[in-house]
Amino acid sequence: MTLVDFTSLMVSALLLAGIYAVMSVGMTVIYGVMKIVNLAHAGFMMLGAYLALELFERFQIDPILAAFLTFPVMFLLGGAVHWVLVRRLPHADEPTLPSLLLMFGLWLVLQNLGYLIWGNTDRSIFTPRTLSVVNVGPIAISTLRLVVFIAALVCLGLLEAWLHYTWFGRSVRALIQNRYAALITGVHEDRTAGIAFGLGIGFAGLAGGLLGSLYSFDPDFGRAFLIRAFVIIVLGGLDSISGVAIGALVLALVETFSIIFVPAGYQLAISFALLALVLIVLPGGIASLLAKARRLA
Amino acid sequence: MNHLSPTLLRIQNLEVCYGPVQVLWGVSLSVNQGQVACLIGSNGAGKTTTLNAVAGMLKAKAGKIFLKEEELTAQPPRERVKRRITLVPEGRQLWPKMSVEENLLMGAFSPGFRKNADANLARVYEMFPRLKERRTQLAGTLSGGEQQMCAIGRGLMPDPELLMLDEPTLGLAPKAVDEIFEFVRNIRSQGVTVLLVAQNVNYALEFSEYAYLIETGKITLEGPSAVLLSNQYVQEAYLGSA
Repeated sequence: MTLVDFTSLMVSALLLAGIYAVMSVGMTVIYGVMKIVNLAHAGFMMLGAYLALELFERFQIDPILAAFLTFPVMFLLGGAVHWVLVRRLPHADEPTLPSLLLMFGLWLVLQNLGYLIWGNTDRSIFTPRTLSVVNVGPIAISTLRLVVFIAALVCLGLLEAWLHYTWFGRSVRALIQNRYAALITGVHEDRTAGIAFGLGIGFAGLAGGLLGSLYSFDPDFGRAFLIRAFVIIVLGGLDSISGVAIGALVLALVETFSIIFVPAGYQLAISFALLALVLIVLPGGIASLLAKARRLA
Repeated sequence: MNHLSPTLLRIQNLEVCYGPVQVLWGVSLSVNQGQVACLIGSNGAGKTTTLNAVAGMLKAKAGKIFLKEEELTAQPPRERVKRRITLVPEGRQLWPKMSVEENLLMGAFSPGFRKNADANLARVYEMFPRLKERRTQLAGTLSGGEQQMCAIGRGLMPDPELLMLDEPTLGLAPKAVDEIFEFVRNIRSQGVTVLLVAQNVNYALEFSEYAYLIETGKITLEGPSAVLLSNQYVQEAYLGSA
């Protein structure tokens, strides 16, 4: 492999990691605050993709901007779903069967709503940007992927800043790290969880919108990405947001470079294999590996 | 002096259960404004349960809790924080991956406290200069004594009317224990009312004005701390002197 090949693979892995991080971060926030594995995440990503498509086709809104516009809509939808359904789940410190069943059922409902509204034909968002490339020296970079990557970084940056520098963001982290302590300092758990759930769904919609401009989609869209999100979250250690970034990078690197050895059609198998491997070898994720290294040092 | 200052906290026949197991069987106690009161007793007697019930973390099966004249029994924890009741819980319960300063700021999370947060932060740093030195450090990396200071600092951020300290010296080095009790002695001069729970009966009685002895979920003895300190039963059962 030449240096140019290597560099362009590295670049495409990095660009892929950005969107992977955005699609996983919503699940992480929801898991962190409520210990609920959002199996319906894929369904909300699908909704986000269709929402962006509708905005693009009906109002000629730029698809990337449309993806951002889905965020507030999906945020409100997430808040409503929390208020109507999720709020009623009994509190638990680990995922429970009722929560898994509820979210899985919700996914099925969303999927079938998708078939009802948009039918089962493949759709895609096509703009002049879709096929254009920027040349950086000998390396050609897809403009669209670059734009999506920058959009992803902006979102992650905003989320991270919100979590660190606002009262409410701090209370979300407090609830993730120690629920008891959060309650005795006056955190309103239901309200915080509702907003966190809304954020998680907002990010799912945003990720769906961004992915929708990269890939074609149908109402079953998101299934393959859900599995990838699982891998990333497990790699990142389930409730840390910087962990998600690392997990996304690892998965993107593995997937991208595996193309050299394995046909592209087997990419999902790679994700699955990585998931199994991580669960067996490193159940605490990369963070536990770093902690171990620190102890030994 | 004590009987002249008004009652701040009044607990009436409080009963609390953990699932099917009843832990408190009609606890009644009151703490006067500006007083340092302590609740002593052995492991499992119901000390921590009492504090958690006052903080609103446990539901009362029967009985009532009043702050001044207002009944709080049915209020959630956040409403009690708003009324400036703070709990410094057993085992500190900090957020390990948040900085010392973030931990302290969370103490002023309730919207009414935010505008005074900076002033109260400065006050806490003045009280515990070591926290200021370590303000950007993650709370999980502090020593036990420093973590306890951080937990107390968090409890002071709302300018508490009632500060409840649950086993503030458990597992600390002797020097840190002295520092914490020195703090308890100083905090009363700022007009904060303290309800202290401690297994270290000697210290607790020495640093408080009024004491309650709790045994298997009931108050079995109460009185000025100096009186309990010389009480023969307390001496034999809790101070290890025959």
